[in-house]
Amino acid sequence: MNKEEQIRIINKTIAKTKFALKPLGFNLIFWGFLIISMSLFQYFFPEIVQFNKYSALIYWVLIPLLGMIYTTYYNIKIGNKIGYETILGRVIKIIWGVFGVSWIVIIIISLLNNVNPVQDILFLLGTTLMMSGLIIKFNKITLGGISLIIFILYTYFVPGLNFLLVNVVGITFGMLLPGLALYLYKENE
Amino acid sequence: MNKEIEKLLFNPIRLKIISFLINVEHGNFKALLEITDSTKGNLSIQLKKLNEAKLIKIKKYFQQSYPTTDYSITNKGKKNFEDFFKQLELYNMKK
Repeated sequence: MNKEEQIRIINKTIAKTKFALKPLGFNLIFWGFLIISMSLFQYFFPEIVQFNKYSALIYWVLIPLLGMIYTTYYNIKIGNKIGYETILGRVIKIIWGVFGVSWIVIIIISLLNNVNPVQDILFLLGTTLMMSGLIIKFNKITLGGISLIIFILYTYFVPGLNFLLVNVVGITFGMLLPGLALYLYKENE
Repeated sequence: MNKEIEKLLFNPIRLKIISFLINVEHGNFKALLEITDSTKGNLSIQLKKLNEAKLIKIKKYFQQSYPTTDYSITNKGKKNFEDFFKQLELYNMKK
C-alpha cells in the first residue's frame, strides 16, 4: 500500500463517519408537535386543563416528562443502531441535556415566583436551537433559533399576549418547521 | 516516526479502524465491521493487534442482557495517528 492509497483510505473512512442529522430532526418534530398540541388543547379546552389550581402545572410537567422519557429511549435506541457516537453528536447531546436541566430549573423558579415560564423557556430554546444549527451547520435550524429569540424579545414588550398562542407561533417557526427541514434533508447530497 | 506504528498502519483494515476511531467518541464492533468492509475474524485480529500496541482501548459491558464491546482511540493512538498523518501531508506537499 503506497502513501496515496493511505491518504485515500483515511479520507474515505472519515467521509463515511457522519453525524446523523435525522434523529435530531425527529426530536425537534416530536417536541414541536407535542408542545403545539398541548398549547392548542389548553387554548380550546381550558375548563379541562385548568379545572383546579394545580391541574395546568401537572399538565405541563407530567406530559413533557413522559416526552423526555420517550425521546431518551428513542435516542438510546438510535445510538445503538448507528453503533458510534461522533464528537459532534456528543456536543449536541450535552447542549440539549443542559437545556433539559435548565428547563426544569426555570419551571421550579417560575413556580416559586408565581410567574409564567413560557417566555423564559422559549428564549432558552431559541438560544439552544441557534447553537445547534451553528454547530451542525444547518442554516434553517440557526434561523429558526434566531427568529424564536427575536419573537420572544418582542413579546416581552407587548403586554396582554396569550402565552399559549405565543407558544404555538414560536414553536411552529422556531422548532417544528426547521425540524421538518432537517428530517427531510438528504444527508448524501 | 515510530517504525512499529508505521508498520501497524500499513495494513488497510487497521488504518481504517484508526481513521474511524479518531473521528468518533467510541464505536461498536458492528459499526467497525461496516466501516472497514472486513470479515468478523479479520477485524477481531486487527483490533487485538491495535489494542496490544495500546493504540485503542476496549470496553465490554452488557446492554439489555447482551454483551457489547465498544472501541475508542487512546491518547497514544491519537498522537501516533497525528504524526503518521503529518508525514503523509509532508509527502503530499513535496510531490
